[in-house]
Amino acid sequence: MTPESMTPASMTKGTLAALIALATGALCWALSSTIPALGNWPDAWTLPAVSWIGAGAEWLIDLLKPAGRLVALVLGYPMEWARMLFVSTPWPLLIGLVTALGWHLGGWRMVALGALGLGFVVSTGYWTESMNTLSLVAVSVPLALLAGGGIGIAANEFPRLKSAVQSVLDVMQTIPTFAYLTPLLVLFGFGPVVGLIASAIYAAPPMARNVILGLERVEPEIREAAIMSGGTRFQQLFEVEIPSAAQQIFVGVNQCLMAALSMVIIAAVIGGFNDIGWEVLLTMRKAQFGQALLAGFVIVVFAIVIDRMSGVLAEPRRHFDSRITYTLMAIAFLATAITWGRLPDPATYDLFGSTADFVDSTLGAFTAANGAMLDSVKNGAMFYFLLPLRIGLDDSVLTFTWGFDWTKSMTAGWFILAFAVGGWLAWRGHRVVGLMVIIAAGILQTGVSQLPWPFVLVGIGVLGWVSGGRKLALTVSFMLIAIFLMGLWERALLSLYLSGAAVFACAVLGGAVGLLCAVNRTAWRVVQPICDMLQTIPLFVFLIPVLMFFQIGEFSAFLAIIAYAIVPMIRYTRHGLTTTPDEMVEAAISSGATGWQIMREVRFPYALPTILLGLNQTILFAFAMLVIAALIGTTGLGQSIYLALGKADVGLGIAAGIAMAILAMIADRLVQGFADEQRKALGLKT
Amino acid sequence: MDGRKRGDLEACRGCCHKVTPGKTSAGADHAPVAPAIVCKGLWKVFGDKGSQHLSSALGQEEADTEAVAASLIDRGLIPAVRNATFDVHASEIFVIMGLSGSGKSTLVRCLSRLLESTSGSVHLGGEDLLQASPKRLIELRRTKLGMVFQHFGLFPHMNVADNVAFPLKMQGQGKNERLQRAHEVVKLVGLEGREDAYPRELSGGQRQRVGIARSLAADPEVWFLDEPFSALDPLIRRQLQDEFLDIQARLKKSIVFITHDIAEALKLADRIAIMRDGNIIQIGTPTEIVLNPVDDYVREFSRDVAKGRHATVASIMKTNGKLPTLNKSGPALNLGMTLDDALASCVSTYKPVPVVDGEGKVRGAVDPADLTAALQVDHS
Repeated sequence: MTPESMTPASMTKGTLAALIALATGALCWALSSTIPALGNWPDAWTLPAVSWIGAGAEWLIDLLKPAGRLVALVLGYPMEWARMLFVSTPWPLLIGLVTALGWHLGGWRMVALGALGLGFVVSTGYWTESMNTLSLVAVSVPLALLAGGGIGIAANEFPRLKSAVQSVLDVMQTIPTFAYLTPLLVLFGFGPVVGLIASAIYAAPPMARNVILGLERVEPEIREAAIMSGGTRFQQLFEVEIPSAAQQIFVGVNQCLMAALSMVIIAAVIGGFNDIGWEVLLTMRKAQFGQALLAGFVIVVFAIVIDRMSGVLAEPRRHFDSRITYTLMAIAFLATAITWGRLPDPATYDLFGSTADFVDSTLGAFTAANGAMLDSVKNGAMFYFLLPLRIGLDDSVLTFTWGFDWTKSMTAGWFILAFAVGGWLAWRGHRVVGLMVIIAAGILQTGVSQLPWPFVLVGIGVLGWVSGGRKLALTVSFMLIAIFLMGLWERALLSLYLSGAAVFACAVLGGAVGLLCAVNRTAWRVVQPICDMLQTIPLFVFLIPVLMFFQIGEFSAFLAIIAYAIVPMIRYTRHGLTTTPDEMVEAAISSGATGWQIMREVRFPYALPTILLGLNQTILFAFAMLVIAALIGTTGLGQSIYLALGKADVGLGIAAGIAMAILAMIADRLVQGFADEQRKALGLKT
Repeated sequence: MDGRKRGDLEACRGCCHKVTPGKTSAGADHAPVAPAIVCKGLWKVFGDKGSQHLSSALGQEEADTEAVAASLIDRGLIPAVRNATFDVHASEIFVIMGLSGSGKSTLVRCLSRLLESTSGSVHLGGEDLLQASPKRLIELRRTKLGMVFQHFGLFPHMNVADNVAFPLKMQGQGKNERLQRAHEVVKLVGLEGREDAYPRELSGGQRQRVGIARSLAADPEVWFLDEPFSALDPLIRRQLQDEFLDIQARLKKSIVFITHDIAEALKLADRIAIMRDGNIIQIGTPTEIVLNPVDDYVREFSRDVAKGRHATVASIMKTNGKLPTLNKSGPALNLGMTLDDALASCVSTYKPVPVVDGEGKVRGAVDPADLTAALQVDHS
């Protein structure tokens, strides 16, 4: 409820917007039978944008191809060297060195993490595959760090560049990962170099972003002190500003590493490099879930080791006795020398093979025994939630699903009910909420994938107007029209529906868990490590467990998206609710408020901007996962991007990627707009 | 922050019996040798195309500062410093005093060229600082200018010694040489033995000592201090003020000192410039500011200041007519004595006065000298 809806007499912005949207929707609904063009965006009105983009991109790619192939050739060398280095280094040496590094960075905790983590990797027999993956990361990360650092410094030095750089970085972050792959594949040719370059491109923005942020946050007086000490610009930057920003920059290094790892694994869908991501994909396709899970664990272990060790860099430095570092290194060399030539090929280790088989057989038994239960969970969610949302109550309520057929009179009854509830709410003073209830009833009746385009356009437009004024309204409308013109609207609606459903589930579930964690410390102690873990796991791995239980299909995709996207919602909700300034809570207590009253009247309104930011993150995460989930069967833009990759169809790949990015950006702008509004209302921002 | 309370506490510090070291070098009627800094017609206008608008406004309004400023404000610009003109004498502590938003920090940043002034000149020994090339500016900063910041501006990734030696490193001095010099300066500010500590391990007072040491490492002629003690709590502030005066007594820098605290200004300054809305509205010695405020704004500042603690005998004595002869046994006053001290000296010639109760019975006696002594605040 917006504050405006409290004033009874005048028509507020929110009410007006809701009325406009409602009127448009009603009009489209009434006229849809006479003017079919009001339903789906007519094909005749689309521009052949996909083929234009394809032709343009192919022309450009043809132009760049010689250079691209040269780059691929040149990058092939360090990649091959890194691969040789990692694969031929005896594993005792590598584990010993990582352990020594762990001590140097973070003491015993990191030693344990390094030794146990890599020890696990060796014992699974996936050592070679892991080293192949690691060698790609080892080459792509320095490239990404250099590029990102360079861009960040350039943006800092030339303020005119900054806003341009920042908007490019924003867009790059919203373009789904797979969309990078198709043009790169055509440009650089088939092979692991594409994964390398894609991962470098994908991992550079977080570095650039953090370098910019870190340099921006250097205290003005520290800058001034460097100037007054007589430093040249070069000295100021490299002696003072960059070292002062080191912690933030190391946050960038950490994010860069994680992004590179995640992308290298996703790029495995191209195949051809015998890496750990490919192993997951292969075993998953063969339905060897025990093995897939094991390979997935190897990825998770790598992600955790890399994340925690590089994360230490972003904390205030502590010094650990370097004698122990050297001792650990000496032990590593000694162990390598002793075992030299005697260790069998690490590919033959199979400590967990029987476990994997056991998991497979148990899983088989479990799904056989509980198949009916799992099916009913899946069908329940599909029939009573996902399908109605997708194709509307009138199409989804059938004898087969609900046990009866939806009739015209039910439609009438449904709308009478909606108007009754909405009218009652409006009468109680919640006019916007009342109108929203009626609109929601209409959407549910029609189904998201069959919404008439004028309604979506007007609806998004007025949302933009309420959240950020006329400029935002125009921006989001134009972005939406771009999708119409590209002829990708139907697929975009399908994507919108699935991510919308997942985001809705995340908001409800994540909000509830966040609230629980805010009031109960024990709950947070349990949830926090789970959140940390979920956030570290590369996207890809989320697919394994859902596939194990629910097979390929929309419901599995839905679950995978929720598992990945729920974390920010939980975190931000809890953070927002627990960081209310003490004096505000004390003022409420001394006014005689109970715990729940404080939560409702003080903490929640104050936390709302933070919670909205969490929602924003959740939306972006959901879009990112949506594309990955295309691997296990979703419809919509994600599927198009994935298909384009298979057919090397650059036009479709880029167009669908852009459409996806546009959806993400629209959602991002709208939610940010509301968050800003709320922050202004709270006086947190001027 | 409770500025007024702090002001009171600081004001007590003014009643020192000794004459503070900084004040001996330049007095109100002490003719300066050659000014260290000559600032003329300095304007700083924030906003788009400030300098174009300023020159056109200056052309129209015929150098009436107020009219020019009003015209600039009409054009949507912010004239933060308006026609600032003053000299800083060699070895003088020149304090610029004003409330927040009065333009004092902007002014000192224009003097040090951390901000580019819109127009005017700042001469430093015959050279206009505002015209210096970037290269020359770096050279000047390396050798002639030092600056201390309100929030210290210490480099978090360097220890005390490296922080202090930083300006020398910029000059290209070798490591041993600069660390040796750093050691000397660290000793000067009383932080000997803490050379290896990092800023985060130091208290606020210690941090500002490092800031002071760093600004002095290259032995500059001109020393800018931008509210150096404002972020410190009152006791530490008082201590650092005293040490600052001691250091200045030894080093005799030409100082521009920014503060919002009238008590601090009165205590430290040889001369004070009072700023309001970007204008310097009065320049004078502490005595002049207290006894002859130029307008109500300045009067308001010195309202809470006990005048007896700042005004000296010289400011009220008569020099014409018949002067009394010097009596060896009677009281005599010095030119530099504060009025409070003078009063105490005069009172000591009076006899003890009886104290009676309600029935007129004598219960004791009070010596007038004891009375004034009891009213004096201890100076320790």
